[in-house]
Amino acid sequence: MRIGAAKESYAADEALFDTAVQWRWLLAFFALLAIFPFVATPYWLFMACLVAINVASATGLNILTGYTGLVSLGQAAFMGVGAYTVAWLEINLGTPVLLNLAAGGLMAGAAGMLVGIPSLRVKGLYLAIATIAASVIFHFIFANWTSVTGGVSGLTMPPATILGLTLDEPRHLYWLIVPITVLMVTGAANLFRTRIGRAFIAIRDRDISAEVLGIRLLRFKLLSFALSSFYAGVAGGLWAYFFRVVTPESFPLVMSIFFLAAIIVGGMGSILGGILGAVFMTLVPEALKMAVNWLSPWLPDAVALLSPVRVIVFGALIIGFLLFEPQGLAEIWRRLRRQFHLWPFRT
Amino acid sequence: MTKDTKRQDARQASPARRGLRGYGTALAMAGLLGLGGASQVGSAQAAEEIVFGGSIPLTGVFAFAGEGVHAGIQDWVQIVNEAGGIEGRMLRYEPEDTAYKVDASVAAFKRITSQFQPNLYYGDSTAFSKTINPELERNGRMIMAGASFATELNDPEVFPLQFMAGPDYTEMFGILLQHIADTQPGASVAFVYSDTEFGRDPIEPGRARAEALGLEVVETIVTPPGSVDISTEVLKLRRARPDYAIFHGYVQAPIPEFISQARQMGMETRFMGTFWSMDHTVVMGMGEVAEGFMGVMPYRYYYDEAADAPMLERIREMRPEYQSTAYMQGFLTAMLMTEAVERTVAAGQDLTGPNLKAALNSIEDFDTGGIIGVPISLPGNSIPVGRIYQADIAAQKMVPVSDWIRLDETGG
Repeated sequence: MRIGAAKESYAADEALFDTAVQWRWLLAFFALLAIFPFVATPYWLFMACLVAINVASATGLNILTGYTGLVSLGQAAFMGVGAYTVAWLEINLGTPVLLNLAAGGLMAGAAGMLVGIPSLRVKGLYLAIATIAASVIFHFIFANWTSVTGGVSGLTMPPATILGLTLDEPRHLYWLIVPITVLMVTGAANLFRTRIGRAFIAIRDRDISAEVLGIRLLRFKLLSFALSSFYAGVAGGLWAYFFRVVTPESFPLVMSIFFLAAIIVGGMGSILGGILGAVFMTLVPEALKMAVNWLSPWLPDAVALLSPVRVIVFGALIIGFLLFEPQGLAEIWRRLRRQFHLWPFRT
Repeated sequence: MTKDTKRQDARQASPARRGLRGYGTALAMAGLLGLGGASQVGSAQAAEEIVFGGSIPLTGVFAFAGEGVHAGIQDWVQIVNEAGGIEGRMLRYEPEDTAYKVDASVAAFKRITSQFQPNLYYGDSTAFSKTINPELERNGRMIMAGASFATELNDPEVFPLQFMAGPDYTEMFGILLQHIADTQPGASVAFVYSDTEFGRDPIEPGRARAEALGLEVVETIVTPPGSVDISTEVLKLRRARPDYAIFHGYVQAPIPEFISQARQMGMETRFMGTFWSMDHTVVMGMGEVAEGFMGVMPYRYYYDEAADAPMLERIREMRPEYQSTAYMQGFLTAMLMTEAVERTVAAGQDLTGPNLKAALNSIEDFDTGGIIGVPISLPGNSIPVGRIYQADIAAQKMVPVSDWIRLDETGG
């Protein structure tokens, strides 16, 4: 039983992980990530890369919505900006992969700042509608700026190459996508140990009070938009390298809803929540698909009969979370940890 | 302790404990799911089977088509297997639902290719076909066709292992324009299309084809897909007063609204559609307004009782209720793929992608059992053949108003 951790300094109080056990678990997790490509099938590697891309984007949205309290339904559009930037640079200039990804992030960040301007005047649903309008504008640009975006046919790009190595399969791309996602998630976790992160939280909790405390709302709200969009842009760039075809229909509004659902299901305002939510939203439909496939030997044509049921079950699971665990999967995780720490006592 | 007391105790357990029990169950289920996946991965493919994989949209916006395609492939596989397979090798159909999403389609492809070694594959969208193309070439074991008739895919250089069981969208426009030019030389035409990749696909080449046939394109109108309020667009159409208006990039909406408003304005324009808006159910679903609605269809309708269509008779025996044009597309795709397998096996070659595609391209004057009313050839990635059908609302049928039009013969 562990009933607490003694903290003897402010630095210890602010540490991301406060016990050696946590560090050991983290190292074990990284070891697992390193071993995974050597033991997983191409399908699981594909899913791992997809999960990592979604984790990166959901973490970005969590910075904006979960930590700063600014609702956005434009995450997919910012991913689109990043994806198009990366694809254009790769096709036309052939610049290095990491530079392209950074450029994609910066371009999306700039776009995010533009879209964030109304955030000083409007909040909540109004801001959500403003971000939807922005995504429609971005979609129009993607579909009609043919000389740059390839119009409705989009851009088909060559595979990423690093030091002469071609990354054209998930087992290669894994080594690009997963480390970048780990870096981005670590960055986001550390952000909230800084003055900027705390300002975001203050704005979320009560923006008028934050302003009274000397936090310049416009600057920090725009910064939050920029950071969130930067994350989306890099995730979009990774998406572009992963699928290698970017079209205006690659980043629909429903994808933005997917990310919003991910942080709600995972737990808003929690880095772990963003991760768990993205994993849940990506993998549970696949797990349900497997469950349907198992029934094939007993139920003829189970795939056709049960596919609509599968969608209903997935929807019901999300509703169930909202009803019974509004604080998301991260809260379940915290409760589990508490249970183990305090066992055999009740929490 | 009585049973009731135990139950009461269980009910009164702390929320955390109850929660933990729930998580335990959830974890156990997740574990089982994982094991199931692993056991599936481990399931060995019978050495003699020929696997037909499919990323099929059984849910989502394109489910209406996916269900038809799925049934069509299933039935053809059953017919082949009942006849003893191909040289004794049975076909095995392995579909997976994609909800018409590219990432889910690619995931399905990865999962199916991880567990089996498919030689044939059905894809559900243009985006999937484009995305999976490099993987298809790297894999080198299969050929692929799908729900997309995108002009872009009709390029054997760029998509060497793919094909489509019908004309591409530009060729569909070519067939429609050929019919217009034959029926009313010099007619004026308007194109109405959705603001999507699907909608824009044949517009520019269609305009060039119209000019070549001596037709005048008087208006092009673009709308959001599935839009409802199209009164402004109808006014544009009224100003242009074309003899024909061709809709493309829609399934149903806003076609009935367009026709209805145009009729109310006294316009005599004849309205036409392309493949996905031409299913019997879709057209009849428009109601009275669909009377006289025409369009291009590469396949015969389910209820066509032409004497030279024994395969349709067979389909009606297998499924007494109406089967969609998507069904015909899935059925014919599977038929052409197995023909390619038969030819490859007969030539004593390995079932590789390039060999299968070469065998497919050797198909010349092939009898589809009447699904397409003329013998077909497949020298490239498409079959540029179609016929104009028109809605007869009183008879509740789509009736042919032209003979089969072959663009490879007309030079279109």
